[in-house]
Amino acid sequence: MGLLAARRDLLIGLAITAALVVTLLATDEDAALVIGVTTGSAYGLVALGLVLVYKSSGVFNFAQGEFGTVALYVLYLLDFEVGYWWAFAGALVAAGLFGFVTERLVVRPLFDAPRVTLLVATAGVALLAIAVEIWFGSAQGKPIAKAFERVDRVTVLGVQVSDQRLWLIATVVVLAVLLGLFFTRTNLGLAIIAASQEPTATELVGISVRRLSAFTWVLAALLGGLAALIAVPDGGSFGPGIMTSTYLIPAFTGAVLGGMTSLPGAFLGGVLVGIIQSVATSAPLFEDIPGTPSTLVVFVVLLAVLVVRPQGLLGKRA
Amino acid sequence: MTVDERADAREGQSGERQRPFRPSPAGWVARAVVLAGVAWLVLVFPLSRPATELVDFTTAVCYAIVALSLNVLVGYVGQISLGHQAFVGIGAFTSAYLMTVHGHSFWVGVVGAAAVGGAQALVLGGVSLRVRGLYFALVTLSYGLVAEQNIFQIQELTGGGAGRPAPKPDWFDTEWRYYFLCLAFLALVLYVDWRLMRSKSGRALLAVRENPRVAATLGIDVRLATLFAFVLSGTFAGLAGALIASNDTFVSPNVWNFNLALVFVIMTVVGGLRSRTGLVIGGALFALLPYLIEQIPGLDDLLADIPAPRDLTPELAPLVLGPLLLLLNLTVLPGGIGQQLRPFVRWLGGRRFDPRDRGLKEVPISDARA
Repeated sequence: MGLLAARRDLLIGLAITAALVVTLLATDEDAALVIGVTTGSAYGLVALGLVLVYKSSGVFNFAQGEFGTVALYVLYLLDFEVGYWWAFAGALVAAGLFGFVTERLVVRPLFDAPRVTLLVATAGVALLAIAVEIWFGSAQGKPIAKAFERVDRVTVLGVQVSDQRLWLIATVVVLAVLLGLFFTRTNLGLAIIAASQEPTATELVGISVRRLSAFTWVLAALLGGLAALIAVPDGGSFGPGIMTSTYLIPAFTGAVLGGMTSLPGAFLGGVLVGIIQSVATSAPLFEDIPGTPSTLVVFVVLLAVLVVRPQGLLGKRA
Repeated sequence: MTVDERADAREGQSGERQRPFRPSPAGWVARAVVLAGVAWLVLVFPLSRPATELVDFTTAVCYAIVALSLNVLVGYVGQISLGHQAFVGIGAFTSAYLMTVHGHSFWVGVVGAAAVGGAQALVLGGVSLRVRGLYFALVTLSYGLVAEQNIFQIQELTGGGAGRPAPKPDWFDTEWRYYFLCLAFLALVLYVDWRLMRSKSGRALLAVRENPRVAATLGIDVRLATLFAFVLSGTFAGLAGALIASNDTFVSPNVWNFNLALVFVIMTVVGGLRSRTGLVIGGALFALLPYLIEQIPGLDDLLADIPAPRDLTPELAPLVLGPLLLLLNLTVLPGGIGQQLRPFVRWLGGRRFDPRDRGLKEVPISDARA
């Protein structure tokens, strides 16, 4: 029964996405669709990390973006010293380490604290990371190298999709599937879900909840690092706090849209937010909104989801 | 008879005397001296300082109001706003707009800013307070971003990227006089806050924070109480914004960003939720950190000695030290400055000095159950 219900929710989500896609194609917003899907994949990747931490620690991790920005700085610095892929690996290690240290020094002491306290603490970690980035680097943007330079290999609906973006989409899809299998098929994954739902009972059957917590934070930090390392170089430059200022809110909106607990939901939500943003940027309907129209549109979507369907498109009612 | 007096009376019963503790004449003198010292620091010391420093002091007073504003929401009803810079910023622009475009006086600007702050909170809270805790924090954060990228870009209101000038009021046109005006507003906010928490509504707010379900069974409309706290918080924030605008005599649209929102939350938590003394000190401390680093001898040299590619400048220091303080605060001293100062404050009020007195047994930072 539960499986059927989950399927039905997934179908609703897919139906909404399909309807949106058809509408966009019908209204000649092809370009917005393609750009939206690629940007949305990056949101989806960040959202996967957010949902992972939410599932295991029950907290909204505002440091998720900065795990990525720190990785970008490491990539930038190491890229001068060693080859690109070594630097890439080093950056991922740095992100994972950051996640581990955050878990040890901040999350663990606040294990029994209210969740909102933990939220303030993760926001503090994010601000500290941004401050240190400004302090050690500078407030100005820096150029960042891409893994794949070629941009004209693939054209979809008249829009060139760069290799870097193809790599992003492939990474996100593969990760979403792998994580989905991990949480339903492996003992470790099931233990993490169990710990998030019933910590006491999980301890009683002999699983160390604290050790699991460290594992999920490292995993989430790695996802945040990957998102930044693959998505940001496509723009060519980065600066302090870039992941927090441009990716975190859309990713959160995507995760909430997907129900905050569903990994495929997070991915789908991220893509939806990407499409909505991209349409809001190009569609004449939103021209009169001052500043950046997409911010306002994403905010309205977030409000609408929370008010009309707080469990999200794919989430289950708590 | 308050709880404290009862406790004192009980203490007396176990000993010889029945009447509660009264300080000796020497004790009163010591308390008067400390109070006079604080009064001197706040009221007399600034008179001898140059105008540029007065601007910093006035900012400290305004930040204290912001800390009190956030405390109404975070400390009393346990909901967190990560977009408070929007309320303060829109307050600043409302005041500047009313003064420079419509030619109204400063007083109209202040009242307008406070009203707009409250109205914003009413609309945003009315729509979004169906959700609480983490989700509400997310909504406010997103709203802060909307303010930054949409509202502050409205040409008519903010003058686009150019910003708007905001003159000081007629008689309070020097930095010194304006400082005392802001102090008066801080006193007003403190008074309103104090009266509120002495009332039935104030206790209702605390009940909502402790446990919304229990509060609901006691006949408290949880959503209405939360909304009320949010509106009051927005009103205070708008007021603070108007004061900050005229203090700087200019409002730029670029300073009201997410970092500032976090600094606001941090100074509130580090100051100590539900402790008026701690909140005022916390707000003032964060506003004055650059000033203090410059003034305290040797401190800037010490910061420059930290091995880093760049010196930790006084402008950057609050951004680095703030989150560090916050994390220490959360993990080691959850009650903040207010809790540490509580024995001294109680002593000043004519009680025994009790270093173990930390208020309630457990003082969680924010007890919202998400």
